[in-house]
Amino acid sequence: MTIVYDTYTIFWRELKRYKKSRSGVLIRLIQPAIWIIVVGNIFSETQPLIQSVGFEGEYIEFMAPGVIILTAIFTSIFGGVNTLWDRRYGFMNKALTSPISRSAIAVGKMSAISLIAALQASLIIGIALAIGVTFPNPLMIIPIMGIVILFSLGFSGISVTLAATAKSQETFWGMINLLGMPLFMLSPALFPLELLPNWLAVVAKLNPVTYTILLVRELMTGVSEGGVPILISVGVILAFVIAMVSIASYVFTREVNKPF
Amino acid sequence: MYSIKTKSLTKSFGDLVAVNDISFSVDKGEIFGFLGPNGAGKSTTMMIFTTLLKPTKGNASIGGFDVVKNPKQVRENIGFVQQETTVDEYLTGRENLLLQAKLNHIPKNEIDIRIDEILDLIELSDKQDQSVVTYSGGMRKRLDIAGGLLHHPKVLFLDEPTVGLDIQTRRKIWQYIKKIHTEFDMTIFLTTHYMEEADNLCDRIGIIDHGKIQVIDTPENLKNSLGNEIISLLIENDANNDSFLPELKKIKFIKKINEGDLKLTLFTSNGTEVIPKIFQISSNLGIKINSISLTQPTLDDVFISYTGHEIRDDDSKYDRRREHSKMKRLRQ
Repeated sequence: MTIVYDTYTIFWRELKRYKKSRSGVLIRLIQPAIWIIVVGNIFSETQPLIQSVGFEGEYIEFMAPGVIILTAIFTSIFGGVNTLWDRRYGFMNKALTSPISRSAIAVGKMSAISLIAALQASLIIGIALAIGVTFPNPLMIIPIMGIVILFSLGFSGISVTLAATAKSQETFWGMINLLGMPLFMLSPALFPLELLPNWLAVVAKLNPVTYTILLVRELMTGVSEGGVPILISVGVILAFVIAMVSIASYVFTREVNKPF
Repeated sequence: MYSIKTKSLTKSFGDLVAVNDISFSVDKGEIFGFLGPNGAGKSTTMMIFTTLLKPTKGNASIGGFDVVKNPKQVRENIGFVQQETTVDEYLTGRENLLLQAKLNHIPKNEIDIRIDEILDLIELSDKQDQSVVTYSGGMRKRLDIAGGLLHHPKVLFLDEPTVGLDIQTRRKIWQYIKKIHTEFDMTIFLTTHYMEEADNLCDRIGIIDHGKIQVIDTPENLKNSLGNEIISLLIENDANNDSFLPELKKIKFIKKINEGDLKLTLFTSNGTEVIPKIFQISSNLGIKINSISLTQPTLDDVFISYTGHEIRDDDSKYDRRREHSKMKRLRQ
């Protein structure tokens, strides 16, 4: 299967670049680390609120899944930016004049971004464990990582779509900022869904981030929240990922054929 | 057997016609050069040949495959080395070539042999495991060119292969291009705005300006077409200048005269006999000659004779013209 081989070629290249930029790995950890350490402690007094909806542990244990997903969101939504560099500095033309297919370039990039996002998220899980967050069932890390990879694939789709359409760095970063933070805030990442004002809860239920956080939180703490069954959450995430990867491949293939 | 064949090729971007109805063909095994100033349409033509742009009109085929109808087959048969160096700085030299090999579907069991062979050819074997960040500009370019021919393409496209390199490095790159040409017997299509480069490398040259091919021929024929000598004159500003030119044209050895403001370029043979005649005419008309020189024609002169301007003064010419028309309007 050439398409698999081609996708792997791009994937391999992206990961090689990631591995060589050690400072990037650390820089990307700073923001989520601040969230979990600073925000986790600032809001520790809200524990009674959290308990009122059925959580027994500390606030930091409640919000840790939110920060894991925050890491996944931002690592993957920034990840597509090298598409712009590749177009500017000629790697894209090199790939486009070789026999590999356009969608293999897009999918290769997305899968690399999602794996990188998952690696960053796993480092945050490490930090969470180090500051005392506990896992009732440590084996749950495996399905959690699976969900993070899947979810990041969807967000890398958003990123690659934006990067392929943006003509400049400024447009790209503008769009990313417009999307990233609101999607994170309009979710039960920091507070339980039940405690959000009604209108916010409605918006949150339209947000795929919500389902991912509910799912990861349930796997991590064992407490189900918001009355959303696991299968529904998994379904929403899958639909989100399939939609985003298809849109990204389509848009990317169309856009790279235009002169940059 | 043609490696490249194009007919009535046209590409416009809105009002701007970048490539204007060009037709030509390149033989198998030939080194063909497109020579022209920046913005002449060289890179646009190359982007159509390498399937990156679709032509507005006309067609082109590479190695027998149409660039619009069979882009995939075209891509399988070409190597493309872009103007800017595109090697990945974070990867080592070898990793860069490995990436290139994978992109071009070189069979797994051949990859290592090919890479060793090419590293040897471009004399980078000892640096292959260092990051490209540590490479000099010339080494990066060599690596980039090596990547373009690793899969032994039938046609290799080189877009301004030595732009921005110092003269020694440039000569070195020319040597490598000649070496790979004999070694792999591939057709090479290159663009350049260096006369010396075109003269040094190409079997045939197409001079392109404002999207049109002005002439195609071997460097030798192009130079000979101008006669074998050039006389350049600088004259003093004077009212009688207008009558000077018709008189000069009567001298029988002069083939062509190009007019600058106060500079006249005469393409001629028997220059040593022509010069006294020029002085005779000028003294009869009372025209003062400030300097005179006799030289052998270079490709530079060929270029000027076909395009009416030097390869690098495109912008200044444009400004001057605008100034002139502005002054005209002010006077009226």
